[in-house]
Amino acid sequence: MEKSELLKTAALAKLKLDEQEADKLAVEVTAMLENFSLMMEADVEGLEPTTQTLQQENRTRSDSPGSSNLSNDLLDRVPEREDRFIVIPNVI
Amino acid sequence: MKYQSFVGLEIHIQLISKTKVFCSCPNHFGDEPNSNVCPVCLGYPGALPSLNEEAVFKALKVCKALDCYINEKVIFDRKNYFYPDMPKNYQITQFESPFGVDGFFNLELDDGSIKKIRIHDVHLEEDAGKMIHDGYQSRLDYNRAGTPLLEIVTEPDLVAGRDAELFVQQFRQMVRYLDVTDGNMEEGSLRCDANTSINLPGKGLGTKTEVKNLNSSRFVNKALTYEIKRHGKVIDKGGEIIQETRLWDEKTSTSKSMRTKEDSHDYRYFPEPDLPPYRVTDVLMKEVEDSMVELPNDRKKRYMDDLKLSFDQAAFITGERKTADWFDSLLSIGSDANQAASWLSGDIQKILNKEDVLLENSPFIPKRIKELFELINDKKISNNIGKEVLQAIFKEDKDPSVIVKDKGLEQVSDSGAVEKIVEEVLAAHPAVVDAVRAGDDKQVGFLMGQLMKATGGKVNPQMAREIIVNKIKLDISGDSQSRDPKIIEKGSEK
Repeated sequence: MEKSELLKTAALAKLKLDEQEADKLAVEVTAMLENFSLMMEADVEGLEPTTQTLQQENRTRSDSPGSSNLSNDLLDRVPEREDRFIVIPNVI
Repeated sequence: MKYQSFVGLEIHIQLISKTKVFCSCPNHFGDEPNSNVCPVCLGYPGALPSLNEEAVFKALKVCKALDCYINEKVIFDRKNYFYPDMPKNYQITQFESPFGVDGFFNLELDDGSIKKIRIHDVHLEEDAGKMIHDGYQSRLDYNRAGTPLLEIVTEPDLVAGRDAELFVQQFRQMVRYLDVTDGNMEEGSLRCDANTSINLPGKGLGTKTEVKNLNSSRFVNKALTYEIKRHGKVIDKGGEIIQETRLWDEKTSTSKSMRTKEDSHDYRYFPEPDLPPYRVTDVLMKEVEDSMVELPNDRKKRYMDDLKLSFDQAAFITGERKTADWFDSLLSIGSDANQAASWLSGDIQKILNKEDVLLENSPFIPKRIKELFELINDKKISNNIGKEVLQAIFKEDKDPSVIVKDKGLEQVSDSGAVEKIVEEVLAAHPAVVDAVRAGDDKQVGFLMGQLMKATGGKVNPQMAREIIVNKIKLDISGDSQSRDPKIIEKGSEK
């Protein structure tokens, strides 16, 4: 994998990589991509892509509200709060 | 203009539903921050989304109204991006096989002509949470995360800012008729991003920019007009347009670069493995078709063609579906379309505007207005008294016949009684009577005014005018000085 491509991917994932990490990852990701390219060689002409294996279609639910009562428990696990808001560093 | 411009819109509407699109958390604006959250919409590992039937139904209504082709197999995809408004780090949306594709919208332009705007697709997705930024930190509220959002994407068939403004207005009106969203742009239940590019004629699309933060249809127009001009200036100078997202700043009336736009492959779309494909059944499609209503532009055309209303009246009445429904129900109980339209767009609207009340919540129920019209048409009250009765209906929430009776507003149509009052008025204004006799017909108006004043407007005006003219005409024997044959002729014509 080109290093520039790796760095772009890292940037999209909001990951900060230093030189050393980038070099190390470049080798590992290249190996992964090679495995994918092996898969790409398989002939799938005329096959519909399988996106899930449950084969069950139209799993829907009616529009009726439920209450999980989890809201407070979930909020308690938040690192920083202000009243009921979750607070994070400024990300504009 | 030397360049050709192209405009395409991406319109997001928040669908009205009781719950979020992939979990059963309430979809309710204004609740305590982070109270409507659960493991699914907060993206906890192992939580499974399930599709809200109501959101599907409303999505299909919009597809149907836009004459879209409905995909046989509807698929949801993950759009991967990392931003704190979306706790899962991806948004469930539709990319390869959305609910509807290849539709169109008949846009009515200012000159009344129709322009067919192609619809690229209609897809269902989840909204992101809300972020409140201040100088040093951001606060998150995930109540909105996972609420149903429908995105409608047009082809770049709009040409100028004004086209886009009209599109937003007419589209908003349509989705409000369909009752799928409240369409409030200020509150963000209808949001619009606008794409534009320019090029030399015949050269196809140019490099586009996207403008965000447009929370009224007027801003859409202003921002696009600005962008098209900006593109022209850049290209004139030999520069190049950078594909980017720009933010409209209403205060300065300019757009500013926000970020360079990701290519769609940067989002690494892939089919959502947690949601099975969805197939729209014939039964459901039939239900959707049965729920369809006459759309605003069709209704307006019908009012103009069949009921002969003016463009302005038809546009006013069809502006809101509830107003048009009210109008139709008034006609259905036998009122005349023209009378109904002119009262509705005139005095009724005046009162509603002044009192800041919606027609459907007002005491003006169609049955009462029909009764009011009958009182006027049967000459039981004059048109002017009718206006007074209308006010009273609003204030007292009573039927017009009751008001007329209570206040003694019934018109005096007994000729003997009218004659008596006329005589009094004529006796009080001999100089004016002479003037009329001398041919100054305008003065009859003055006498009518005096008569109305004396009776509180309760006299049948036509009858009163006739009696005044006849009285003066027949009274000539009593006055030998000025016989004016014109008056006699006029009088005898009647």
